[in-house]
Amino acid sequence: MPIVIVLFSLLGPYSENWHHLVDYVLLDYASTSLCLAGGVALLALSIGVTTAWVVTNYNFIGKAVFEWALILPLAIPPYILAYTFTGLFDSYGDANNLLRKIFYLEDTYIFFPNVRNIPGAIIVFAFTLYPYVYLVTRNSFLNQSRSLKEAGRLLGLSQFQVFYKIALPLARPAFIGGLMLVMMETLSDFGAVDHFAVQTFTTGIFRTWYGLYDLDTAMQLSSLLLLVIAMFYFIERRMTKDIKHTTNNSTFTTSAEIEIKGLKGLVAFLVCFIPIFVGFILPITQLGVWAIETNMDLLNARFLSTSLNTIVIAVFSGIICAFLALIINFSVRLNISALLSSLKSFLSIGYALPGLVLAVGIMKLFVYLDRSFVSEFGFVITGSLVGLLLAYIIKAYALANSAIESGYTRISTSIDNSAQLLGSSGWRLLSKIHFPLMKTSFLTAVLLVISEVVKELPATLVLRPFNFETLAVTTYMYAAEERMYQAAGPSIAIVLIGLIPLIFLTKMIRSSRTT
Amino acid sequence: MHKTLLSIFLLSFCIDSYLLAQEVNVYSTRHYDSDYDLYKQFTNDTNIKVNIISGKGGALLERLKAEGKNSPADIFFTVDAGNLWKVQKEGLFQSIISPKVLDTVPSNLRGPNDEWTAIAKRARVIFYNPSFVSEQEITNISYESLANEQWRSRIVIRSSSNMYNQSLVASLIAKNGEKETEAWAKNLVKNLARKPQGNDRAQIIAVANGEADLAIANSYYIGIMLSGSAGKEQLEAAKKVQMIFPNQQGVGAHINISGAGILKYAPNPKNANLFLEFLLSEKAQEYIVNRSYEYPIVNVAVSKEMSTFGLDFKEDATSIKVYGELNPDAIRLMDRVDWK
Repeated sequence: MPIVIVLFSLLGPYSENWHHLVDYVLLDYASTSLCLAGGVALLALSIGVTTAWVVTNYNFIGKAVFEWALILPLAIPPYILAYTFTGLFDSYGDANNLLRKIFYLEDTYIFFPNVRNIPGAIIVFAFTLYPYVYLVTRNSFLNQSRSLKEAGRLLGLSQFQVFYKIALPLARPAFIGGLMLVMMETLSDFGAVDHFAVQTFTTGIFRTWYGLYDLDTAMQLSSLLLLVIAMFYFIERRMTKDIKHTTNNSTFTTSAEIEIKGLKGLVAFLVCFIPIFVGFILPITQLGVWAIETNMDLLNARFLSTSLNTIVIAVFSGIICAFLALIINFSVRLNISALLSSLKSFLSIGYALPGLVLAVGIMKLFVYLDRSFVSEFGFVITGSLVGLLLAYIIKAYALANSAIESGYTRISTSIDNSAQLLGSSGWRLLSKIHFPLMKTSFLTAVLLVISEVVKELPATLVLRPFNFETLAVTTYMYAAEERMYQAAGPSIAIVLIGLIPLIFLTKMIRSSRTT
Repeated sequence: MHKTLLSIFLLSFCIDSYLLAQEVNVYSTRHYDSDYDLYKQFTNDTNIKVNIISGKGGALLERLKAEGKNSPADIFFTVDAGNLWKVQKEGLFQSIISPKVLDTVPSNLRGPNDEWTAIAKRARVIFYNPSFVSEQEITNISYESLANEQWRSRIVIRSSSNMYNQSLVASLIAKNGEKETEAWAKNLVKNLARKPQGNDRAQIIAVANGEADLAIANSYYIGIMLSGSAGKEQLEAAKKVQMIFPNQQGVGAHINISGAGILKYAPNPKNANLFLEFLLSEKAQEYIVNRSYEYPIVNVAVSKEMSTFGLDFKEDATSIKVYGELNPDAIRLMDRVDWK
């Protein structure tokens, strides 16, 4: 619904501002967004797929740690990495200062290049978002039958050829799904690009809305962005439609790992270490230094209640989203309703809408609902916790969906057929057969949504009830006032809470090895 | 029947926030920690609870518009006159009638029909590095002279997406006309030392480090930097720069405000009135200016940091009312001259 409201704006009318945008800045917005999304996609894909391949096929120093540590950057929101990047790499940032001190260089010596530009933004997004690709690709590599690869080797393919001729094409549906999430999140981000003064579609949308006071034109810009994303989405669907394959579990054997040492081992080590270093260790260290320098008093009542709010609402959204995704995907699999199937694609695209634009759409929907059903009592959904929860579900559904969907591709349809022959269908099929088989995917869905909701800002800002604060809101309030030092405390708390679901995920990753 | 039951059920969720009579509900775009302590003082003095939703201006306005007559909000409290103008234009404010407020605040710092009032002021000023800028170059400086060729590649300023720059350009349009301002902006862009990036403090730091000679930024940032609360490096940087008020020979320096108004459908208008009067009381004013380093509306004692960079200056009397109205023109102008 909120998405429909946004899309309706495309029907016009087009104002003077629209023509102004077309004349002067639209091309700029579009080319910057395209460069950014393309660059992030390439870099995130390379990092995600390479690391996934290395940790599933080789054994080297630190591998047991890397296998789970590679998802840690997911706990760092891109805007926080952007803040720490400028804190470190600006001409007089900590990293440059440190180098000057170590090598007794002159005050004017600047080692690191400027990060406030498109390449800088590409690095920020790729290193915080690649885990979406890594998670699904690794899962897919693990589930690939060993016999397939051995057949490849027997037919004379090198290890590298096995990778890109057999393993990679088989993993394609999985990593394309992850990649879509990466691109959608990149295109809808405001915080990081605004900080770097990189003018994307999303910054253009806000400039039009806040500066030109023209919400209608802003909505038209959003619709344009949505249409581009929708195009990608359907092309991807088309492309992966023909290569539906489900694994036949009975002959399944997991791949053996190849032991590597020496220089090759070092390369493998670095391939895994660098993403974790840039995407997690570096920002956490910088935040820690800031937090210590300001002597933040963190254990006060306000901070604790803020943390508690964040955790409770995130967990609720996670569980509801995962159930919703499970039921919708189940219905789609059994072709129960065409409506649900289109609902699924629709809800997923919501993820790509700039958070604040989506938030306004949702707000209008809530006010409409309140007016039509409970008007005589004032507002019930608008500005309530229920409303906030609904907004999170709309926003994060795509994450739950991708996890559940990829889980379903691994359940052979022959299982459904046998179950139905034996009289288990409908609810029983879902609860007794699919759900137990999908437990891991279900939990992944819950955890992904939690880590997203903990970071969510724009919808929380507009839709929350009085005096309700989350950690992301607190961080934003400091960051908006350019007080990164004070923002460090709540930022660390966001990261720590985001880590809790990730620890669960890593446990699952470890145990997925042994099965 | 179902509808009523459902309503009663859902209503019980929010009953407590509606039945406590003594409260005032504030939508705020100010994100200062110190504001929370200020609200606490108000509650101590009056026994009125302050409920807050803070957010971005545009989004809160959409919420107000969508909520319409049922809005629970009493007060809209914000920075930048443009934000106040937007709410005023939607007809969502009621006129302030409190004589206390009207007697305290000069009329150029209030809405055209007293829809809103300033709570504190800030000036958009020039910071320069005395090692690279001579006394003679900087005396009698004006915003207009920043377009002169002598400043080629020497100035830093943040992006045109920032509302402080939008208000500055809007005020110049009001003063000098759109054509002249566009020519000015074109030359200013040529004079930039780097692509606009970072926030106001980043500009001051760039000047301190010699990356540029001169920066345009808001006055209160230097106060925050000098107070040391933003870290050692910012304190060091702040000591290296000098601040000067432009246009002192002419119409005066560009000022902007933090301001507030009572909303048209406020459920607690009496409390809202008391809240505004409190914000303009000497006690609250002193508290605000010594923590956010903005300039007060009433005369109060100011801190050491404030007085080191100057209190007496000529203010541009251009009514703050025009900023909001001219804001879209300002943005389109900056788009045309490729001010990033």
